[in-house]
Amino acid sequence: MSFVALSELLGANVRDVDGTARGRVRDMAVAPQDHPTRIAYLIVRLADVERLVPAGSIKALGPSIRTDGDDSTWERYAASDGMLLLKRDLLDQQIIDVHGRKVVRVNDVELDSTPVNSHVLLNVVAVDVGARGAIRRLAKGVVPTFTMRALLERIPPRVIPWQYVDLLETDPARRVKLKIAYEGLSKLHPADIADIVEDLPPAEREAVFETIDEEVAAEALEEIDPDIKKSIVESLDSERAADIVEEMDPDAAADLLGDLTEARSGQILKEMEPEERQEVTQLLEFHEHTAAGRMTTEFLSLPETSVVDDVIEAMKKFEGGYEALATIYLTGPAQRLVGAVPLVKIATASPAAQLSDLSERAVSCPADTPQDEVAALFDKYNLLTLAVIDEHERLAGIITADDVITMLRHRK
Amino acid sequence: MLTFLRTWRGRIALLLAVIGPGFITANVDNDAGGIFTYSQAGAQFGYSLLWTMIPITIALVVVQEMASRMGAVTGKGLSDLIREEFGFRLTFFVMVTLVVTNFGNVVAEFAGIASSLELFGISRFIVVPCAAALVWLMVVRGTYDSIEKIFLTASAFYVCYIIAGVLAHPDWKAAAFATVTRPQAAGIRNYGYLYMVIGLVGTSISPWMQFYLQASVVEKGVTIRQYAASRWDVILGCIFTDVVAWFIIVACAATLYASGRHDIGTSGADAAVALRPLAGEYAYLLFAAGLFNASLFAASILPISTAYAVCEGLGFESGLDKKFHEAPVFYWLYTLLIVFGAGVLLVPRLPLVYVSVLSQVANGVVLPFVLIFMLLLTNDAELMGEHTNSRGFNVIAWITVAVTVVMTLAMVLTQK
Repeated sequence: MSFVALSELLGANVRDVDGTARGRVRDMAVAPQDHPTRIAYLIVRLADVERLVPAGSIKALGPSIRTDGDDSTWERYAASDGMLLLKRDLLDQQIIDVHGRKVVRVNDVELDSTPVNSHVLLNVVAVDVGARGAIRRLAKGVVPTFTMRALLERIPPRVIPWQYVDLLETDPARRVKLKIAYEGLSKLHPADIADIVEDLPPAEREAVFETIDEEVAAEALEEIDPDIKKSIVESLDSERAADIVEEMDPDAAADLLGDLTEARSGQILKEMEPEERQEVTQLLEFHEHTAAGRMTTEFLSLPETSVVDDVIEAMKKFEGGYEALATIYLTGPAQRLVGAVPLVKIATASPAAQLSDLSERAVSCPADTPQDEVAALFDKYNLLTLAVIDEHERLAGIITADDVITMLRHRK
Repeated sequence: MLTFLRTWRGRIALLLAVIGPGFITANVDNDAGGIFTYSQAGAQFGYSLLWTMIPITIALVVVQEMASRMGAVTGKGLSDLIREEFGFRLTFFVMVTLVVTNFGNVVAEFAGIASSLELFGISRFIVVPCAAALVWLMVVRGTYDSIEKIFLTASAFYVCYIIAGVLAHPDWKAAAFATVTRPQAAGIRNYGYLYMVIGLVGTSISPWMQFYLQASVVEKGVTIRQYAASRWDVILGCIFTDVVAWFIIVACAATLYASGRHDIGTSGADAAVALRPLAGEYAYLLFAAGLFNASLFAASILPISTAYAVCEGLGFESGLDKKFHEAPVFYWLYTLLIVFGAGVLLVPRLPLVYVSVLSQVANGVVLPFVLIFMLLLTNDAELMGEHTNSRGFNVIAWITVAVTVVMTLAMVLTQK
C-alpha cells in the first residue's frame, strides 16, 4: 500500500496489454453507488476519442500506467452520469472540511494504491488542502519526480481524510445519483453550520438548506447573518421554507418573516401548519424592538396548584427550545401570572412538592416595553427568562437570555 | 401620473440599494496615475485626445459589466472562478503578477498622497505613515456597509475636477466638438500621440479593478434578480468617471496647452503646480485636493482587494471577520502591501521608477490573461446559465479586449 497523488496520475501515459502507449489520463472516476472510495474508471484521451478504462485492469502504476486491456474492452466515454470525476468535481473546487468546520479549496487528492492479485486497487483516502499539494502541482514536469518527492516529504502535510469531506453539489438530481449528502455537516453544531454556510456562494447555501434535516436547518438558520438568512429563505421554494420556519422558535420565525416582503412571507405562512402559523402571525403584529417582538410563545406554565410531578410530565411533552425551560411559570385565577419556579428548584425538590411552595416572585414586563428596558431588567434581576404579560396581566410569552444577547450584539 | 411616479420611485430606490460596487470601482480608476495621464494628455495635445473618452467609456462599461454580472450570477469572486475553471498553475501565475503590479500601484497611490499634501507644506514623513495607518485601520475596523459609504463619499469628491475644469474657462464648443469627431490621421502617425492614447487606455482598464468589482458585488449580496439595477450602477459609474477624466483633460488643455506648457513633469502634483499661474489659486487647490482624495481612495482599496483575490484564488483563509491567526496569509499580505508600499517612499533616493516599470510590465503580462479569462467565463453556459454574453455583446467585448491587450503590450514594449 502506498500513496499516490491525483496530480501525479493525470496526464500519465496509459499502456494497453501489448505495452503500447495508447493515450493519457484525463480524469479519474469514482462510482459512489458501487463503492464510496474506489476508483472505478480512468478516463483516457486516446488519439480519436475518450474511453473509460476500468480501474480493475490496472496492472501497475509508475511513470506510465500498465493495463491488461485494449480498445475492445474500453468503452467510449459519453457522459459522467452517476460518476464523481476527481479532477472536474474535486480538484480546485471548494469542499466542506467537517472536522475543521470550514470551507476549503482542494489542492490535490491523495489516493492509496494496494496491489491485489497482480492488479492495483486505487482508493481515495484524503484531499490535500495545504502547501504540499500546491507545490507538487506547480513543480510538476519542471522538477524531476524523484527530487520532487524528496522535497515534498519535507513539507508538513495538510490533508482532510475522505470521511470528513462533504462535497458541494448544487444540482439536486446529480446529488442523489452520487449519493452526496451533507452527512458530516448536519452532525455539526447549528452555530458551526451557520458559519460554514456564510462562507459558501449562494447556490451552495441553497443546496445545503434544501438537503439537510428541517430541524437542523431551522436551528442553523437562526444563527445566520440576517441578510444572508433573508436571501436563503427567498431562494427556497415556499413549501420547503415553510417546513423549516415551522421548526424555528416562533420569535425567530416571526423576525425572519418580518424581514421578507409581504407577498413572500404570505406564501410561506400559507404553507405552514395552522398552529404554527397562528403563533407566528400573532408575533408578527408586534413591533420588532419591543418585548413582544422579542418574545417566544413556547414556554411552560402551570396552575399554581400543581406539584413537581406535573411539571416533569409537562416537560416531556414540551416541544419548544430547552432554554425556555429555565423557569417554569405559575398562573392563578383568570390565567394571571402569579409566580415563577427556577428549573433548579424543581430538579432538587421531591416529586410531590407543591409548586406554590417553591415559587418566587415572577419578574415581568408589559408587551410594549422597549428592548433596551428588557435588557436592563435581565441585568438588574440576573434573569434567565423574563415573562411578558398582556393588559390583563396574563402571560403572553417569555424572553430568554440568549435572545437578549443576540439583541445586544446586533444593536448598532 | 401617480403610477408613473410610483414606478419611478421604486426604480430609484432599487438603484440606490445596489449602487456602490460599480460606481466605486469605476471611480478608483481615476487614481494618482490616471490623473497624471489625463493632465499630461491635455497639456501635451490639447483637446485633440478628447475623442478617446467615448470609446474608453464603452470599453470600460463592457469589461466592468462582465465582472459585475459574473459576481451576481455565480456569487463567487473572479479569482475563485479562475481557479475552478483554469487550474492551479495559471491561477498562481496570475496571482503573483497581480501582486507585483498592484504593489507598484500602491506605491504610486502613496506617492500621490505624499506629493499632494506636500503642496500644502506637510512633510511626507508625517503624511505617509499617517495615511498608511488610516488605511489599515479603516479597512480592518470597518464593515462593508460603512466602508462603502466612505468610498461613495470619496467618489463624490471627484467633483473637484469638474469645478476645476469650469474654472479653467475652456472653449466649450471646441472641446465638445473634439469629443465627438474622429481623430485626425496626422495625429495618429505621431509617435508621442499614439503613446498617449495607449497610456489613456492602459490607465482605464486594469486587472485589479475586475477582481475588486466582482468581489464587492458578491459581498454586497447582489443577486441576478437585482442585476438590472446593478448594471446601471456600472454604467453610471463609468460615465461619471470619464466625465471627470474629460474635465481634467479640458482643464489642462485650456490652460497649459494653450499657453505652450506642454510638459508638466512627472506627477499629478506637478500638474496642480503648473496650473497655478494659469488657472488660478482655486483650480490649483482643487487639483491638489482631488489628487489627495483619489490617491487615498485607491490606496484604501488596492491592498485589501489584492489580499482577497490572492487568498481566494490560492485557497488561503481570508476575510476581515477572521482573526489574525486564523487567516495569517491574508492579514500579512494586506499589511505588507501597505507597509512596504508606503515605506519605500520614505527611503531617500530610492529609484521608484524601477518599481513603476516593473509594475507596468507585470500589468501588461497579467491583463491579457484576466480579460481573456473573463470572456471565456462569461461565455461558459454551465457557469452563467442563461446569462452568458449575447452575440452582439461578444463582438464588442472581443474587440475591446483585443485592442486593450495590444495597446497594453505595446506600452510594455515601448517602455523606456
